[in-house]
Amino acid sequence: MKKLAVAVIFGSRSTEHDVSIITAISSVIRPLELSGKYIVYPVYIDKGGRWFSDPELASIELYTKGNLDGFLSRLKPLQLKMNGRFELVWPGLRPKSVKIDVAFPATHGTHGEDGELMGLLEMANVAYVGCDMPASAVAMDKALCKTIALSEGILTPKYVWFYSIDFSRDNNAVLSKLSELKYPLFVKPVHLGSSIAIARVSNPKELINAIEVAAHYDDKVLVEEAVNDLIEVTVPIIGNDKLQVALVEQPLLKSQDFFDFDSKYLHGGKKTGGGKDVSQGYSKLPADLPSKLYKEAEATALAVYKAIGCSGIARVDLLIDGKTKKVYFNEVNPLPGSLYAHNWRAKGLSNVKLVDELIDLALERHKSYSKLATGFKSSYLKQY
Amino acid sequence: MNIRIITSVYSPRFPSTITYMLQASEYQSEPYLKWLWRTVDFSGVARRRTLKRTAKARMLEIFLAVGMLIEILAGLALIFYGALSGYNAWAWEIGAALLIAYPFIWSHLVVLPLEFGRALIVEPKLNKQVKTAKTIYRNHPGVKIAVAGSYGKTTMKELLKTVLSEGLKVKATVANKNVLSEHAKFAKSLNGDEEVLIIEYGEGAPGDVKRFAFNTHPTHGIITGLAPAHLNQYKTLEAAGADIFSLGEYLKGENVYVNHESPPVKAYVKPGYVTYGPEGVGKWQVSEVNLSIDGVSFSLSDGKTKLNLNSKLLGKHQIGALSLAAVIGLELGLTRDQVIAGVAKGEPFMHRMQPYELAGARVIDDTYNGNIEGIRAGTALLRELSARRKIYVTPGLVDQGQDTKRIHNLMGEFIASAKPDLVVLMRNSVTGFIKDGLKRSGYKGEIQIVDDPLSFYEHLDQLVAAGDLVLMQNDWTDNYA
Repeated sequence: MKKLAVAVIFGSRSTEHDVSIITAISSVIRPLELSGKYIVYPVYIDKGGRWFSDPELASIELYTKGNLDGFLSRLKPLQLKMNGRFELVWPGLRPKSVKIDVAFPATHGTHGEDGELMGLLEMANVAYVGCDMPASAVAMDKALCKTIALSEGILTPKYVWFYSIDFSRDNNAVLSKLSELKYPLFVKPVHLGSSIAIARVSNPKELINAIEVAAHYDDKVLVEEAVNDLIEVTVPIIGNDKLQVALVEQPLLKSQDFFDFDSKYLHGGKKTGGGKDVSQGYSKLPADLPSKLYKEAEATALAVYKAIGCSGIARVDLLIDGKTKKVYFNEVNPLPGSLYAHNWRAKGLSNVKLVDELIDLALERHKSYSKLATGFKSSYLKQY
Repeated sequence: MNIRIITSVYSPRFPSTITYMLQASEYQSEPYLKWLWRTVDFSGVARRRTLKRTAKARMLEIFLAVGMLIEILAGLALIFYGALSGYNAWAWEIGAALLIAYPFIWSHLVVLPLEFGRALIVEPKLNKQVKTAKTIYRNHPGVKIAVAGSYGKTTMKELLKTVLSEGLKVKATVANKNVLSEHAKFAKSLNGDEEVLIIEYGEGAPGDVKRFAFNTHPTHGIITGLAPAHLNQYKTLEAAGADIFSLGEYLKGENVYVNHESPPVKAYVKPGYVTYGPEGVGKWQVSEVNLSIDGVSFSLSDGKTKLNLNSKLLGKHQIGALSLAAVIGLELGLTRDQVIAGVAKGEPFMHRMQPYELAGARVIDDTYNGNIEGIRAGTALLRELSARRKIYVTPGLVDQGQDTKRIHNLMGEFIASAKPDLVVLMRNSVTGFIKDGLKRSGYKGEIQIVDDPLSFYEHLDQLVAAGDLVLMQNDWTDNYA
């Protein structure tokens, strides 16, 4: 059987650049290679936006030992060819090119997870893993997601969003809008993931400080009410039309805490210790919820996945009020860090099977999109 | 031919590669040279392990590096001399020949210090040690139990040691250190007050077991089974059987225990030998068997006494060994309770049906299993246990001589009978034979062929998930790949 050529694209101009490297190497490239079904091309986008591809870029030591810049200086940046198919081109006296069958975006945050990369891959007419461009773009905008969720009758905590520039021009107007909300509040940059620059505030002074930090990172800021007696859960989902839900996972944090970047990635979720095994050891798998509530969390997550138009893979974060048992939508992550492989493993899907299924889903969606008509006969040009 | 393959012998790492090959061949010239002669690409030799820089390895590495360097310098000097002395053709030719030939010359010359060392130092020293050991064993007052067989020896020995230690002073040979030199070292370590000695016999060539028996003077003998192993030396299973059963002849048929679950032993069992297996030992009968991933439980009764035994060892095939250890314990004076406690203490041994958890899956590590009877037992266990997904992993068996094809066809049939969802085979000379066996048995599951076994074993956690059951049987060292 012919092996499919898979380009795993990671890094990019994003605050989550480093997280993306871990996702790509540990959760995507290694299992793809182990499956024996694919020829894997690691495609690294550096912080300046240059694309590179070399087998050595799949080695984590290259990034951890600090010799990446020296290595990249010896490589020529990759070129992309899009002539009805997607090709990687290594320039030189005798340029080498390879046709890619499937692209596997493993980027987090801006210039990757936000739909930009997916748009490029759509234009290149290549199958790619994960949410398509519109869903990725919507999922990366926390305010827009909440608006869509509300329109579908899905509960979400009361929120207000505004442009960062409006706050810098007239912060009183913005603060006046925010006065409708009850403390404690959460302040979030609208487009960033991995909990970067998110803050929990209890008074106006903290609120202003948190908004200033969030506005430093993003052009849109979201402020929302905290859920009382909070049970935070997250639900990984894969699929296009037929969806599979992993286990409902419950981060082990006190109700006043939240999942910040350090908890997620630097301390392996334990607040202390090393973080080699990303996203493990900090949560209850499955979540310790009564059966009815557990099912409701699954149903809410599935409803969000469909409402946003997700396909391939995503993770839906929910907030549960421990007293009222109400389930609120928090946010959706179109490319969960490390694919949340630990959760899928606990569910019974190995890392290798997970990437295998994601590749199949990418091909399935590409095939179905290819069937859509892109032409329409009209006399428009003749009339011109 | 790839340029990398041609230049791999001229790599600065070549001395280390050669040393690794010697180490992996246990510093035996014949397997090393065979490996050397069939290897084309030396850049991919060390796949499963890396060179352990022991004193011996370091000495050989330095010997090779210095030797090669001298030859390179000599070659360059001759070329230089040739250039200076008016393009002297012979100097050029010899110089170039030295430069081209140095990896080939030194990769062969390296066996000389090993062979000389063996002939002039190791062998005379060993002969002396063996002579002393023979006297120690002859004069030792304890019960001396010899454990021989093509497979299952270490498990039997360790099990016996665990059970008998509940009430007796027992000493046994260490791990799989089971050849003449190790028996001599073991003798030297004895105090003379041990009540039981357990000595493992690691046969490798015709006459080995007979020689071990005459050196260690056993009072009891256990033959754990007979299967094709070391056939490159024994040539036939009959020759291996004759050697292993020379233990029974030495003991004149007294206190000889034979595992008759192993079909080939039947031809060698004589009146007076006590047979054992999953149904019991002699008059002791096994009943109420319960198998699980966590171990085995069963009852053992001779009609008067009944023992309810539990063990963490895995598989039905362990019942015979557990029963025998219990019966010998009772015969040597242990109480019922001591036997029950001893059997319960038996833990799975390293890489021998050793279960562990990985990424939520259960893995049974049987990578030290290197014979078809072990494969039969392992696949039988895999068939009996339930799991969400069953995965079977093996490279095949080594040293099967002329029976290689037949044995691996049979292995494929055993694997198919366990109905695994996925069979992972390490690509090598026997892969096709296993696949044929699987196909012949109508195996419908997935087959994955792995080119890089080390990477596979290292990243096994990526291949498994909660509810999976993985059985890994045997592992090849690089010299067999």
